[in-house]
Formats: sequence, structure tokens, C-alpha cells
Amino acid sequence: MGKPKAKVDRKKCLACCGCISVCPQDAISWIGNKAHVDSKKCISCAICIRTCPIGAISGDA
Amino acid sequence: MKYDVLIVGSGPAGSVTARFAAEGGAKVLVIERRQEIGVPVLCGEGISRKIDEWNMIEGTRWIAGKMDGARIYSPDKTCVTIAAEQAGNETGYVIYRDIFDQELARLAIKAGAEYRLNTKAIEIIKEGGKIKGVKAESFDEELEIQCDIVVAADGVDSKVAQWAGINTRLNPKDLETCCQYTLENIDVKDAYCEFYLGKEIAPGGYVWVFPKGKGIANVGIGILASLSESGMAKELLDKFIENDSRLRKGNPIRFLAGAVPVSNPAEETVRDNIILVGDAARHVDPITGGGLTLCLEGGKIAGETIAEAVKRKEFSKEFLSKYEEKWKEAFGQKIKRNYILKEILLDIDDKTFNTIASSLKDVKFDEISTYGLVKEIAKKHPTLMMRLLPLLKYRKKLKEIKKE
Repeated sequence: MGKPKAKVDRKKCLACCGCISVCPQDAISWIGNKAHVDSKKCISCAICIRTCPIGAISGDA
Repeated sequence: MKYDVLIVGSGPAGSVTARFAAEGGAKVLVIERRQEIGVPVLCGEGISRKIDEWNMIEGTRWIAGKMDGARIYSPDKTCVTIAAEQAGNETGYVIYRDIFDQELARLAIKAGAEYRLNTKAIEIIKEGGKIKGVKAESFDEELEIQCDIVVAADGVDSKVAQWAGINTRLNPKDLETCCQYTLENIDVKDAYCEFYLGKEIAPGGYVWVFPKGKGIANVGIGILASLSESGMAKELLDKFIENDSRLRKGNPIRFLAGAVPVSNPAEETVRDNIILVGDAARHVDPITGGGLTLCLEGGKIAGETIAEAVKRKEFSKEFLSKYEEKWKEAFGQKIKRNYILKEILLDIDDKTFNTIASSLKDVKFDEISTYGLVKEIAKKHPTLMMRLLPLLKYRKKLKEIKKE
């Protein structure tokens, strides 16, 4: 088992795009007015999770 | 579809670029991924009074309130008051950003620019390595928009710049992660912008209270992403409001989350057939997180450069570099200087901030300028001077530029 990948809670996300700006893998994009993590690109660094001002991103168990 | 210029993003930088390019005779299209210009508002809505002299926006509909000054609170709530009698350099007006953006778009349209909403850029079109346009999704159709110049005005998370091969990723220590309530029915009576500092209040940032009149204010927080944990910005903001008797009884009429680059300006803002403006170019003051005036100034330079490029049919990096030279001259050094200052301020502990505030609380500031404030601090606290030394080289550079 590796570290959990980042996952956006679409009900919470307000699309501020902070996570997109700091992702070192360019794994997050703006899809349907929300942030979306491409799990294939995600390296589980958790930078986006810590950056989200409202706690809308968490580790996908 | 063929245009001279395609601008991705209808924020202030995009619209001002569009206006000045169109005024200079270029055929301009602006695309916006959202369905309404300026909505949702992603901004604290403070702007410098410098804008009065620029003639870039008309009327007063976009103004919520004219500020009389600012108050800066240290961690122990010692207040340093700055009256804006002469100039509200950092805080002049509190504005309605949605109306503000729409006014700028209106002026661009008046100059001849076209706008398409609900239209999202999905990739850059290249031919033989050369940028030829942008592919976009508009409602349910896919568009191929051909153009000679693409303008990346697509914000802090600029994908357009990335597609063109320019690295726009921000280090978490160079991003403020923010949220803000617009509260109604609160006891904020006078027209002062307030800033609250402290590691417990807002690590690496500050809480702001910007009054909009009629018992309404924007109450927001920005914290440095490198010091943040999941959801911390909102938790700290809620705690701040709960602890403030004026704000506690307020009701939110709006909530927003946002992200502000507080980095050095982008190293590379032009390549063949592409220009970066606004947040995408990191045209933001790293101390205050304010970017509006810089984005307007930069947008104007970009628009004028583009108009000239279109006239001469010159779209090379060399020609477009005129834009880069000019914005660097106008405010590049200021951003770099304030970035160094930001790094220094991050190292100062709460106790020192309290001491500084207590020694400044009776000083009469008649001008709001972060640099003026720092000069005063240096006078009162010679030991802090040592930490401020890296700034001196920028002062020299600024003087040289002025002489030229």
C-alpha cells in the first residue's frame, strides 16, 4: 500500500485554484467548475491537501 | 476563426490588455471559462487611489467606499494608524470587483474587442513548434481559434503559460491561500481598512476587515500555503470572527476561497507569439497580496505592445520583449524588493512585532506605503536594520533607474 492519493470533495470545492497552482506534478485541473486530481499523475505529496483553505481535499483511502 | 490576438481570461489584466490592443487597431477576442465576467468575486476588493490618475475606468459604480486610512494591529492588538490624507497608496477604495471587472470589459468592448463566455481553453495549437492559436470548448462545441498572439491572462493557475512551456508552478511558500466572508449587520462604522497580524491569527499572512458601508465588510484571511494545514484558513477566520464582538453577530452574504501569488515576478513573460499578464505573470505585491493596480499597469503595457506588434506583423519574442522591459521598469523592482521584505518579515516573531507596533503607535503616518513603514521601523529599531540590509541594493537600483 502506497500513500493515499489526493481527492477533491466536489461538494466542498470552491474552485479557488490554489491547489492547481502548487501541484508539483501538474496533476490538478479545472473540470466542470471544480478542481480535479488526475490520480495517475498524483504522487501523494499532500501539498494540495495542506494548501486547500477550506479542507476540500483529502487522502483517498 | 481568426483574430490578431486571443486573450484567455477576462479579469482586469485580460480586459485592459484587450482594450489597449483593440484601441491600437488589433482584432481581439477574449475568452472566459466562467459564465459571467467578474463572478465569482475572488478578491479582498481593496485598491490603491493611484487608479484615480490613470483614466482606465469610468464612473463610480464600482466603488463601495472611499477609505480614510488603515489600521494595522500587532499580535497583542496594538494599533498603528495610518491616515490616508495625502495618498491611499495601498488602500484607497473598497470596490465591487464584479462591477469593476465588467466595467473594464465594457471599455474593451467599446474599443472593439469581442468576448465569448463559457469558453474554456483546452490546448494550444502549434504548427512546427510555433504557436498558432488555441483550442477551446464553448458550450457543447469545440472551437479552433487562430491568432498571431496568445495572451495568458488565466490567473494564478495559468495553464496557457504551462502549455507554452513556461513553468508557472508556485512553491507553497510563494502562495497565500485565502478565504473571505462578506458579512452583513456588523459594527464597522468608519472607513478604515484593518489588518491583523500574528502567527496565531494568520501564519505568514494577515486577517483583513475592509468596510463596504451600510454595516457590510469583507472579512478575510490569507495564510502562507507552506504554513497551512488542510482547512486551516477557514478555521482561523471563523475563530477570528468569533472572538471579535463587532463581527460575531454578522451574517454572511457571500463566502469565497482564493489563491494569491506572493512570489517574485515571472522570469519569462514573453515567448514567440505569447505574452503573460496579471496573476499568471505574478504581477502582485508580495507584501500586501494586492495585484489590481499592477495588473492594470501591466495590461496597458501589454496591450500597447501587442497593437504595435500587429501593425508591424512582428510576433517574435524579441519584439514582444518590449512589454517585459517596460513592466520591469514600471514595477518589477518594486515586486522584487517587497519579496525580499516579505521573507524578512516572515522571520520576525510576534514579540518583536508587538514591540515595533508599540513604538510606532503614536507616529503620525500621512501616507500609506509599506516601504515608508519599514523606513520608520528601521529608524526606531536599529538592530532590525541588519536584517533589512538586503533591501539596500534594491534602493540603489531604483535610484539608478530613476536617473536614467
